[in-house]
Amino acid sequence: MKNLKALLYCFIILACALPAAAQESDGGRISGNLETNANFFIRDSLIGAANTPQYDRQLYGADAWLNLSYSNWGFDFGLRFDLFNNSNLLNPTDSYTDEGIGRWYIHKSIQKLDISVGYLYDQIGSGIIFRAFEERPLLIDNALFGARLGYEILPDWKIKAFTGRQKQQFDVYGTVIKGISIDGYLSGGEGANWAIAPGFGAVNRTLDDASMNSVVATINTYIKEEAFVPKYNTYAFSVFNTLTAGNFTWYVEGAYKSKDNLNDPFGELTINDSTVIGDRLFLASGSVVYSSLSYANKGLGITLEGKRTENFDFRTRPQEQLNRGLINFLPPMARVNTYRLNARYNAATQTLGEQAFQADIRYNYKRKLGFNVNFSNINTLDKENSLLYREVYTEVSYKHKRTWTLLGGVQVQRYNQEVFEFKPDAPIVETTIPYFDFLYKFDRKKSIRFEGQYMATGKDEKGVKHDYGNWLFGLVEFSIAPHWTFTVSDMYNADPGKNSPVDADTGEKLRLHYPRFDVFYTYRANRFSLSYIKQVEGVVCTGGICRLEPAFSGVKFTANSNF
Amino acid sequence: MKNLISLCLLLSSLLWLGCEEIPPEINPRMGGENPIEVTPVDSQQRQVLIEEFTGVRCVNCPAGSAAIEGLLADYGQRLVAISIHAGSFAPPYPDSEDFRTDEGTNLLSYLGAPLGYPTAVVNRKKFEGEFDLQLGRTQWPGFIVDELGSPPKVKIDIQNAYSDEDRRLEVKVTLYVEENIAEDEVHISVAITENDIQELQLTPSSGTPDPNYKHKHVLRDMLTTYNGDRIDEDLTAGAVIEKNYTMTLPTGWVAENCEVVAFVNLDGDNKEVLQAHQAGVTE
Repeated sequence: MKNLKALLYCFIILACALPAAAQESDGGRISGNLETNANFFIRDSLIGAANTPQYDRQLYGADAWLNLSYSNWGFDFGLRFDLFNNSNLLNPTDSYTDEGIGRWYIHKSIQKLDISVGYLYDQIGSGIIFRAFEERPLLIDNALFGARLGYEILPDWKIKAFTGRQKQQFDVYGTVIKGISIDGYLSGGEGANWAIAPGFGAVNRTLDDASMNSVVATINTYIKEEAFVPKYNTYAFSVFNTLTAGNFTWYVEGAYKSKDNLNDPFGELTINDSTVIGDRLFLASGSVVYSSLSYANKGLGITLEGKRTENFDFRTRPQEQLNRGLINFLPPMARVNTYRLNARYNAATQTLGEQAFQADIRYNYKRKLGFNVNFSNINTLDKENSLLYREVYTEVSYKHKRTWTLLGGVQVQRYNQEVFEFKPDAPIVETTIPYFDFLYKFDRKKSIRFEGQYMATGKDEKGVKHDYGNWLFGLVEFSIAPHWTFTVSDMYNADPGKNSPVDADTGEKLRLHYPRFDVFYTYRANRFSLSYIKQVEGVVCTGGICRLEPAFSGVKFTANSNF
Repeated sequence: MKNLISLCLLLSSLLWLGCEEIPPEINPRMGGENPIEVTPVDSQQRQVLIEEFTGVRCVNCPAGSAAIEGLLADYGQRLVAISIHAGSFAPPYPDSEDFRTDEGTNLLSYLGAPLGYPTAVVNRKKFEGEFDLQLGRTQWPGFIVDELGSPPKVKIDIQNAYSDEDRRLEVKVTLYVEENIAEDEVHISVAITENDIQELQLTPSSGTPDPNYKHKHVLRDMLTTYNGDRIDEDLTAGAVIEKNYTMTLPTGWVAENCEVVAFVNLDGDNKEVLQAHQAGVTE
């Protein structure tokens, strides 16, 4: 494996050296990008930013990715160097240090045949049965290390087949994943206002012996009634179609997964004659039905979405937890919020069971006045049909000539903290968040933006505010185009709740400030930022995948460059 | 279009062709075959150390502790458990006993923090295909089985002498080297654990901690440094090394429920435990 990497490394360097005199010569082209984060950790026990190796002794951590792509002679080559030095990305409470070739690939098209080998990112349909992807903020890199063949069987009809193993940092898992898919496109011809893009996919995962032995050893600790015979092979199938007719777009996907060895973190298990609630392996087949219907006409846009998930946790091996070893991706069914307090409570996708729907209506009047209403509701799939998440989001925006823009609204949430954050008996967190965003342009270069949100939380039966209680957030952002942006913000725990930090001496809940200062500098394709951050613990989501992040206190520097 | 449909069916049937697999053999609840009683040191087999990281505020940890009790019922003396209260879930409730120790906190830092709980380290080994030493609950049995399969490079005998009057404990640990041990940094660690301590513990059944919960194998103290004392003696096959330790048990500890746990571990990048053993303080 290492030899292969070294060989390839040399090959790529050689390939890159050939057109070294210029970025483009003889049809060859090299491009790339760099992403760097550096963290300076400043211990703050009060907010919980402490007791990790970084706060205790390492004080500094960094992550970097340098991506290079080179195309010539009909080939595409890619190489990525990954670096993690005392990084808190892989595990937010631990330190991770390693570096090396994080990705390489070779791609070639030969007439209708398409060949790719190396670390590949890809997906089938919307990703419900297979998605190999990367989410750097959560250090998810589920690239498939293997080979893929694609072939254009008919005009607008393509078949692809792949096989490989999932990346595990600088190694690969033992499990083999393989699959095929067919994607097509049909339209009513000239003048017709309809088109369909149907597809079919199938994926198979074969557990390696070491993983299976581990599963068997665990099942052997179960009593006979709870034990099962695990499966080496699991098959997932998916049929999907996008229908476009006039102003309507309708996507529908149905997926089925054959019996799989799954882990239920809330399972009931008998150990030494008593019932214990916790991780329990079980065998079950699964299904997902997902549909999205959109209507767009002039200033009006309406989207309706629905999803039903049952036992569709699909991982490279059942021992993997949280965001590790995911083979697929289930689309999130709640609005992706960006404002600080609006984005504090997120609904992580429940892979073992949920039923959800979402409606989004947008209307824009003469590009001046805009309205947006979003409603989402997620319930468990079991008999209780308990609420997991509900959100009503309203937004009104007004643009006054080119001088100023005002945007505001109210968001109301219900968030099942017990399920999403494994906090027993935590009540459903109730929030009401009025917010505004005001942008004023002094001239073509200078502008100022104010942002404000207030989160009012509900009370439990003892009269104590849910979770951290009420928050106030304010932000001022001053921009001098095209280079500079300065922001100052503060998140203030105005009325502390059940989980807010407590003064060790008096026992009183603390009303803490979480300030943040940022400077962004952009010069052409280079972007730098320097930030001082105090951040409360919370669920952080990227692309619909979430994890609980501890509090952060320190200074962050980032550099991004495209070339 | 017909060709296309046929192709789809053909390709999916190819995937299904292999769906008749020979399943693995399972033997649910295989306990009872392994000795519960202490075996004499000359017939001592491989004994595995499992270090569980836990905390009184960790709601999922009782499930992990219960799983360890289940494994102990299967493997008896061949599995040695230590529950280390350290990390973000370990701070005590007001007016409850603080189970945290400096050694435990150092061990969490030394062995690495887990991604989630319950979590345990088996023989301090980084198993192939794992991210780090910390293992989720569904991984413990498999790696314990793996580790039990090899013969011990060293055997450990513990002789305790405890006086009820002054609560003084004298521990004699004798190592019998079975195979040449070539590593430079070979350490001996000796810990005191206590069983059946009734104290608050958060459990999934309630938002308030359970006052009747009985904590098992709680790490109380170590008679060596947290990563063990370096063994300077020759570690060739046949060598016999004796180490002696003394301590006075604090009054809060119930001597009858306390165990002395001794293990030989490597230090450095490879922190593997070569053998573990335990003996009751009053035995």
